[in-house]
Parts: sequence; structure tokens; C-alpha cells
Amino acid sequence: MPSPRQPTGERRPRALVIDRAWRDLGPGLASLSGPDGAPLTRTVKLIVLPLIVRPAHRPELAADFLEATAAARLEGLIRGSGPPLMATAQWFTLLKKVRRALGVVAGNPQDLYFQRCFELAVEHGVPRAGADVTARAVVQDVADTTGGRTVEALKSHLADTARRSLIEVELAAAWESRPPPADAGAAVALAAEALEACGTPEGAAHSPAYAAMVEADHGGLFGRALWAAPRGVWAAGDDLPDHLGLSARRLPPRPEVGRGASTATLPAPLDRTLFERLFVVLQSSSRREELPTVPELVARETGRSCAPLGLYDASLRVAVVLGGGLACGLDPLGTGQHAPGRTAAHRTVNSRWRREASVLRARRMTVSPRPDPGGGVLDALAQDLRTPWAAYMRRLWVRLHGRDAHDAPLKDLASAWAVLDGVARSVMMDHRAKVRAALRSLAAAPVVAPSAAPAAAPDAAPDPVLAAERSGA
Amino acid sequence: MTGAGGAADVPVPAPAPSSVDVPVDVSAGECGTILVAPAADDAATEGPDFTRAVLDVAGAVLTWPVLGAPGPPSAWLHDAGRAQQWLWALYGERVALAVHERASGRPTGRQDRARVPADPTALAGDAARLALGHWTARWWPASYPDGIPVLEPDVLGVETAALTHRCQQLFDDGGDQPDDCAAELIEDHQAALAPLIQWWHAAPRSTHTARHLETVLSLVDAAADGAGLDGPALRHLRAALGERRRAGAPADPGTLFARHGGYALAAGAPTATGARMIARGAGTNDWRRYPPGFVDAAEDAVSWTVRALGARRRIEVEVVAHGAAPTAGAPLVAEVRVNGGHRNRVSLARRDDLWAGHADLDLNTGPPTGAQPPRVEVAVLLPGFDPGPAPAPPTGPGATPGAGTSPANDRAARDAIRALARRRLATAAPNLPYDVPPHAATAVPFLAETAAAATAADEDY
Repeated sequence: MPSPRQPTGERRPRALVIDRAWRDLGPGLASLSGPDGAPLTRTVKLIVLPLIVRPAHRPELAADFLEATAAARLEGLIRGSGPPLMATAQWFTLLKKVRRALGVVAGNPQDLYFQRCFELAVEHGVPRAGADVTARAVVQDVADTTGGRTVEALKSHLADTARRSLIEVELAAAWESRPPPADAGAAVALAAEALEACGTPEGAAHSPAYAAMVEADHGGLFGRALWAAPRGVWAAGDDLPDHLGLSARRLPPRPEVGRGASTATLPAPLDRTLFERLFVVLQSSSRREELPTVPELVARETGRSCAPLGLYDASLRVAVVLGGGLACGLDPLGTGQHAPGRTAAHRTVNSRWRREASVLRARRMTVSPRPDPGGGVLDALAQDLRTPWAAYMRRLWVRLHGRDAHDAPLKDLASAWAVLDGVARSVMMDHRAKVRAALRSLAAAPVVAPSAAPAAAPDAAPDPVLAAERSGA
Repeated sequence: MTGAGGAADVPVPAPAPSSVDVPVDVSAGECGTILVAPAADDAATEGPDFTRAVLDVAGAVLTWPVLGAPGPPSAWLHDAGRAQQWLWALYGERVALAVHERASGRPTGRQDRARVPADPTALAGDAARLALGHWTARWWPASYPDGIPVLEPDVLGVETAALTHRCQQLFDDGGDQPDDCAAELIEDHQAALAPLIQWWHAAPRSTHTARHLETVLSLVDAAADGAGLDGPALRHLRAALGERRRAGAPADPGTLFARHGGYALAAGAPTATGARMIARGAGTNDWRRYPPGFVDAAEDAVSWTVRALGARRRIEVEVVAHGAAPTAGAPLVAEVRVNGGHRNRVSLARRDDLWAGHADLDLNTGPPTGAQPPRVEVAVLLPGFDPGPAPAPPTGPGATPGAGTSPANDRAARDAIRALARRRLATAAPNLPYDVPPHAATAVPFLAETAAAATAADEDY
């Protein structure tokens, strides 16, 4: 156990206060604790903070550092929760046992059961006779929270011929009645202003540009501009398509209904069928139980897919414009080709990517920064880094589309920046995972397989940053 | 924790003596980042990429110089709020508070950096050891000619998983910490569990190796249980930990982890009759230009010969393969440059324990050298992977532009890494105490090193 001494001031880290109070509860908490007796990170995040400390109701406990009285208050709360925590630990052990017996393997048991265990502990105390039945019911209930919101359900819903032709008619009508193309110049100009305000929490909290953009549906204007395929909206001289890879065509096509999807071959976001769009939502969503039912999802997606940028919510559409402004100035390879930092947001992300490049060298996971025709898969991955906006916009769109399906708008610039920054991190992590997979297959493959597709498809792969962001929201 | 591995039984490094505070500097980096660096971290510690151990943790990247004295890491904090969950436990409260004040724009005093003493904590020791475990998987200088054995990747992977669980405070589920990978490591390397259990049963009960094995196995069991992993190897582990430790059949790591096949040193390349050797030499073996596990780490692993066949000139390149290299599949190439001219590639193919290739050579390229013999430079690399010349080190704690990038510096650093590996193997042979002060935690050999040392002894390296 670490034994740091008291600092000079009387303020103490909240994490330390929690750690001490936890250890003082004594034995009986092993299943919720790390190997040295500290509470698990997930115990703190899923049980101690939201269910015991509840900083939302006790603002004096919401800070990273606590004054003496607040620290004492926190200690008291944890001390007072000793019995339910002991019971929670026992319920968790029992649920893991039941889970194994039932052969359930999906998901992380801590994520799935911690809160339920605390609820069981508060309601029933420690597990007594008959607890096995309760535990079994909980494990089965948690395993089946999708409520039929599955890809299979989507497939059978769309298998009905009459229904398909009805959706076809609706798609055609919605596509025909789109608003006329618009000019996106004003949107792009304001986006730069909003991006300048990102990068620091203070700036993101006080930017009028974001609210103005949402108010005027600038994202919608941008989406309508894409329907007319202008060029050069991002920056004079840059040879970038305005949609930055959101479509592989000059003009995004009218969405089809679709019958199937494969994570490895998903087209660019605006070229996807209705099926493909919902497939990704159903595959990657961490909270499927909060989604509308499959028929409702399909009905909404029919209109959504014909809306500007394939999104309904104005704040999410604005996030696409902000993301585009950010993405076309990203420089993951540190070539300095783009202006080093058009805005504070660019500087922050590019600085992080430069650090990442140095970390990847120390991890012996490099790709050649210059094009190398003999480089095979690794050269293809480097090429992706030379055109980072494509991967960035795909990831961003999928995340925003997921939010739209969950009816979760971005209420202010700080939330939008959290998404934009999180997508940049996801793109970085995707790159790492692909390099790792490429090096692995190189070490294992008996024959040379030049430029086979990299293992992970970027936007159908689970997006852990999204999960974190959502649960933090 | 289950079975024999109750939390209280796990040997935790003893509380550190309070007299070894290490001063660290807390300062503002670019774009709202915050840097924490040992005050003694000067230019001399910034070496080539392969001398740094790194760890991605919640809100930060931690870095240790592997050749430096043990001590607290440098931290590059991009999210100081998330980092507050572990800063106090890794550096102590005073550093945590200094970071907090820097992050909230209330620096103590008006200096742009605050010097604060860091406590030597158990977590700092465990984290350093975890980072070194990852470093070992990437840069361990295995070499047949140098007598530095290959480490068993599954044994190292299992121990790294155990250390990851031990360092769980450092990670959150933010999705941006690829080092928070205990579950993946266990799934990838569970083949080592059965032999490790056998070794544990066979090791005399009181030895440090036995305790070390029990600690690692218990941690892996706890990590697997928490992450919901299951499978025959893990059930076997759980059963083995659950029953009282029984005396196993004698087994020593030398046989448990013996590598198959010795080196088949290749005979000279088949040369065309009538060929006349006109020059030969050693090339450069820059570890950064190819991934781990392909090329022997020896300084002279790359060699070349130029022969004359009539009027033609042919260069033959031979590169000693890594002891565990795949026999095919890696399109390694040699980069050949004559008299500072154009860099040409010669593709290499596996021949016994070598990567070998040859190509016709034009010795008249480049500026004329008069009567001088041609200057031939040869290097080995993987196309697409090769990062090219090392860029200047990142701005950050202790960064010095241009440091560690000259060939002489690189070579000295490689020699220092080999010396480090030899030192670690030498101490891996006898049983060393496992309870050590946190900042010496990296000195304890990994199980893979102990096994390799035993194997090497068996094979009379």
C-alpha cells in the first residue's frame, strides 16, 4: 500500500480519500478491489461515485481535491456504506459464478453487474437462501437487454417484400422533397471561430459561434451544399472533396434499402444503405436497450437518411462541419504540410498526434512516412495517415449518427469538442490496432500477402471512446 | 482474488523508506498539457527510441529511460482531470496537488515550473516494471552470436498481464489506453499457463521463484475472473490455485520452455563458379528499421560480400535471423548504397538461419573515388515499416533536439542495451529477493528471463 505523506495544504485528492476510506472498511471487499486492496477503477466509477458519493447532489464532493470538512463527509459516506458494499461484493461473486455456469461470455462482468449488485445489496442485503434464483434471473435479464434490437431482427423486418417496397416509395418521396442546395460559406467561416474556442475548457464554455451555428442550422446548409457538389469550401488551394470522403462519389446517391452488411466492406457513410446504417448502430451501440424498437428505427432512418448529412439533429450536423474544418487541417505524420495550427483545436490534436508518433517509435510500431511501393499493408496504413480526413470523417459520422439514433444532441461546444477530440483519439487507436494486426500477420503468415485489407474495419469496430463518452454524459 | 492468492498473500514491495524523495518538475506544456519530469532528467537521458519504456495510462503517457537509474517516470498529461485518479498513488500527494494547481491555472508562485518532491510509491515501482515488460517484448536484444537468448513471449506476456492487473489504478475505460490490455494478453498468451503451473508446483516452496510464480498466477486468475474470461487453460489455473499446492513432478524451466532446434549456421552462399571475392564488410543493424522478432540483434548481424563474375559485380547480403523469426512471409530487404549514391534494395529470403539475397551492382555509381576501394553501405529494413532517419526527439521533459541520433550514439546505445540484457540474465540465474524497494522493482528478473537463463545454462550457451 502506498504511503504518501500529508502535503503542506489541507486539501487532499478525492481519489486518495476514497482509497483510504475503502481500505478502512476492512476485508470482505476483495471482488470489488484490486490486488493491493485499492478499489477497482470501475468500482469507483460505477459504484462509489454515482451511487454513494453522488457528487451531482453534493457539489462540494464534485472536485478532484477536497477541503478537510468535505473529505470527512466523503469518508463518512463510505464508512456508512460498509454493509451494502460487503453485500455488493458477495452478490458480484455470486453473479460471476452463475454467469460462468450459464456459459455467458459477452461483455465485461464489472460493467454489466456492478450497479445491479449494489441494487441487490440495498434491496436484499447479503445473498441468502434462494439468492441463486435471483442471480440467475439478473444474469439472464442483463444478457437480454437488447429487447429484440438486433441485426437479425432488422434483417427479418426488412425481408418482407411488401414492407420493402413501401420503404422504397418513402425513400424516393423523401429524396425528391429535399430542400434545395444551399451555400455553406458562412458555416465554414463560423466553424473556424468555434474551433479556435476549442482546445481549452474555458474557451469551449464561452463560444457564441457554436450556438449561432446550431440556431441557424449551419450543418443543414452544409449538407444541402454537398447535394450540389461544389468544390473548395474548406480552403483555397487544397484539393479536397467538400464531403471529405463522406461519399465516394461526386454527389451522394439516394439511399437504398439494402439487405445485408459486412463490417469489412462498408461503403462511405453517405453511400450506405438503410440496412448498413442501422447495422452499425445495432452492432456498436453500448446501450441498445435505450434505442427505439427496430420498426421505429427503420421508420426514422428512412427520413433521416434523406436529411442533410444523413442526420436529423441540428447540433449533430454542426458537429460534422466542425469536424470537417478540423479534419482537413490534421497532420498525423508531422509533415508540416498543412498550416501547423489553423485553430486551437488543430494545435491540440496535432500536438497529441506528434506525441503519439514518438510513442509509436518507442513501441516499435512505425510506418514509413514517405510512400513506399514495396511497403504492402503498412504502406497502405501510412497512406491513410496522409489523408486523415477520410478516416476521421467516417468515425465522426458514425458516432454522430449513433447519437442521432439515440436522440442525444450535443448541447454545447464543450460536448461537441469532447466528441471531436474523442474521434481523433479513436482514429489514432484504430491506426495502432491496424499496425499491430499487420505486424502480427507478417510474423505469422507463411506466405507474402501483399496489400491485403487490414484486419479492422474502422467504423464497425466497437468504439470504446464512444462508450466512455456516453456513459459519462 | 481466489484460492491461495488472497490479497494479503501477494508479496507487495515493502513500504519505501521515507528518505528517498525524488524531486520532479511540474510545468505547462503546449496546448494545455502538463509535464511532470524528474528534476535530474537532463539531456544525457534522452536516447534513441529503443531506450525508452512507455505506458499509456488514463489521461497521460508515462516514459522511463531504460538505461537510467530507477526512478519516477516522466509524465505527459493531456487530461489532468482523469490523471487525478492515479497521480497521488504514483507520485504522492504533493505532485498531485501541484498538477491540480497548474491545471486550474493557479501555479504556486510565478515560476513556470514547480519543483515538488515525489514519494517513492509501490505503484511507481509496479508501473515501471510493467513498462519494462512491454519494452522487453519490443526491444529485447536476442542474439545467437551475442549469447543473449530469446525470451519466451508467452511467459513474458502472462507476467505483463499480471502486472497490468496490479497497476489497474492507472487505467480507466476511456478506450485510449492500449496498455490496459490484461484480458488480451491473457487470451494471447494462455499457452504458457500450464507450463508455468508445472514450474510453480516443481519449484521448492520457499524459493523466491515459487512465490514469484504464485503471485503472477494469482494475479492472472484475478484479472481473468474480473474480465469474465473463461476457457480450459483458465479453469486449470483456477483449480491449481484452489487446491493446496501439491508437490509436482520435478520440472525445470529449461525443459519446460526449451526452444526447438539449435542454430543451423548456413554454409556459404552458393556462388557461381569462377566468382572472385573483391570486397566484404559488415552492414548496419539499426533495430528501429524492422519489427521485433525478425533479425538477430547483434551489431555484426548484417554482412556483405562483393564478387566479380567476369565483368559483372555482384553483392551478396546475409543477415542473421532472429531465433524465433518466421521462416517466410517477411519481405525484408537490404538497402545497398555505393559511394554515397542511390540507395538500392536487395530483397532477402530465408536460407537456414539467415536472411540472404544478392543483386548485381554497379560500382561506378556516385562520385568517382579515384583509386579508393568503393565505399559500400548495407542496412536491413522492412519496407513500409522503416521510419527513416530518426526525427528530433519530441518536445517534452528533458528533450534535446538532435540528441541520440548520430550513428555513434546509436551504436553506443545498442551496446548499453546488450549490457543491460546480460546484467539482467546474470541476476536471473540465482534467486534474488522479490521484496525490494519500489524503485528497484524493475531490477527483479521477469519469469521469462529466469526461464531463459535456466535454458541457456542447460544449453551451455
